[in-house]
Amino acid sequence: MTIAGVVRVGDGRLRRAAHATAHLLHGGVTALVAAGAMLALVSAVVLCSVLIGVPLLVAMLRAVRSLAAAQRRRTGRLVGGVVPQRYATASGTPFAQLRTLMRDPTTRRDLAWVLLHMVVGPALSLCWLALLLCSVLAPIVTLLWWAPDGAPIDFFVTIDGWARALAVPLPLAVGSATLLIWAGPVVASAQARAYRALLTPSARDQLAARIQHLSTTRAAALDAHAAELRRIERDLHDGMQARLVSVAIQLGLAQQQRDTDQNTANQLVEKAHTGVEQTLTALREIVRSIYPPILADRGLAEAVRTLAAESPLMVHTKIGALIRPPAAVESAAYFIAAEALTNVVKHGDATEITLALDQGGDQLVIEVIDNGRGGADPSAGTGLAGIADRVAALDGRTTLHSPPGGPTTLRAELPCAS
Amino acid sequence: MRVVIAEDNVLLQEGLGLLLSTAGFDVAAAVETVDDFLAAVDQHRPDIALVDIRLPPTYSDEGLRAVRAARRIRPDLPVLVLSQYVERSYAAELLADGRGGVGYLLKDRISRVDDFLEAMLRVAAGGTAVDPLVIARLVAERQPSHLDGLSPRERDVLALMAEGHTNSTIAGRLHVTERSIHKHVSNIFAKLGLPPDNGSHRRVTAVLTYLGSRRT
Repeated sequence: MTIAGVVRVGDGRLRRAAHATAHLLHGGVTALVAAGAMLALVSAVVLCSVLIGVPLLVAMLRAVRSLAAAQRRRTGRLVGGVVPQRYATASGTPFAQLRTLMRDPTTRRDLAWVLLHMVVGPALSLCWLALLLCSVLAPIVTLLWWAPDGAPIDFFVTIDGWARALAVPLPLAVGSATLLIWAGPVVASAQARAYRALLTPSARDQLAARIQHLSTTRAAALDAHAAELRRIERDLHDGMQARLVSVAIQLGLAQQQRDTDQNTANQLVEKAHTGVEQTLTALREIVRSIYPPILADRGLAEAVRTLAAESPLMVHTKIGALIRPPAAVESAAYFIAAEALTNVVKHGDATEITLALDQGGDQLVIEVIDNGRGGADPSAGTGLAGIADRVAALDGRTTLHSPPGGPTTLRAELPCAS
Repeated sequence: MRVVIAEDNVLLQEGLGLLLSTAGFDVAAAVETVDDFLAAVDQHRPDIALVDIRLPPTYSDEGLRAVRAARRIRPDLPVLVLSQYVERSYAAELLADGRGGVGYLLKDRISRVDDFLEAMLRVAAGGTAVDPLVIARLVAERQPSHLDGLSPRERDVLALMAEGHTNSTIAGRLHVTERSIHKHVSNIFAKLGLPPDNGSHRRVTAVLTYLGSRRT
């Protein structure tokens, strides 16, 4: 191995040791805070007998949540990856909040962690502080003894001669440093793994949360579907049927007048003709709003390119390789793209749009970036909310990034496992 | 004039047949599938073919494919494609070979019998007919940069040219003399960089430029 290689390996090890030491020392501090929170929690429980403890208890449980959340992030950083976190949302009166918090299985996990951390955190932290001090101070002790006046120093043993000055502090320093460098990362990682095991929701809880989420989105999807059916029914009845009835009346009248007043009859037939043409146009619009024909004929990529070409703004399309997604996903993606483009034209002050469409793994990603003034607010209009609903109905994810001044990025991820 | 119809909807097939025979056309064959259509084209040597864009088995764009296949066998076969809906990209694809003798219309247009027959004759004579709805959508869009050089009047003329109108009909519609339309058309050809030796196909190329101009 070359010298540079040795240095590099040594460098990595030192860096890991430094991280581990910092992590363990920091753990001492958070353990103290956790202990404080636990104390407050216990007092709040006692005070609950006189009711004022309830809001206090809620506040303390929330404090424990944020401590545990911070620990999850730190643990995730140390062991790599993300420690999953699922909290039930608590709202309403303090009593309602308390009920939600107490029922949340994550609360129990958090409290168990606090209890463990109160003991383990300070112990490890003190040990590593001592090791750190030893490895730094011991060589200084030797140096101090070596300094001219030669007064005896108490360092575990009384140091009053060269033999002891070399035999005691130096091995101590080497030993401490070795422990810091070799044992530090192992201990920190073991602690982090134990915490991760404690703080990660059980597979059962994760499944329960997932089912809850799916039930909600499924209900929303059914609602959306029902609303869509009602809209189509209305369009067909109020639009198509009414128009055809009026055409039929005009033709009936024309038939009646044919022998007596040919001129009027001709006008009525002409009107009926126009009426049928308008009905056909309206019918085309309805069909397009249900399932755009070009989507059926040519697939999503071509349909989206057509959308882009029909926009009054300059739209750059970036379309990756698409393996034909399920029809529901395809039509959702089409309408999301259409609504997003319309939205930009309506609000964004933009001159250019980039529309990206890609299918990676088992999801279809639509990204619409515009160079408008930004500051888009999903709660302000129906456009963005409509998009979010469409995405949620398919159990997908919408993210909107729109800083004031732009640019605005809307990203919709649609799962499309087949 | 001999006609072959490819239309899978029996009602429409009969309606078209009735309309055309009343108008004095000879409906040589009315078929439902791509294979039958190609066979009929081969057998009857029609002067024009009417093709529905959606044919079995998938009812997507078999009609377009049938047209391509037929024109590979008979490059000069005039074809009028009919559809329930129109897309600019389809119009551009149909005109892409630049040979003319191509039409692309909404089925709704059949009901305006005179206009429809006129469009048919135009296509049969090697001209073009693009549905006004395609052109209307193009006009509504932001105009593409490489048509920037055209004056508003020249754009109007180009739009009508794209629908397939001749100089005299354009003159009638815009209430100007045919001479001035002729001048506009020459200007359009020059501004779009179309060489003067291209004959009547220049018109098709100009229309294609217009239709394809916003493809990114």
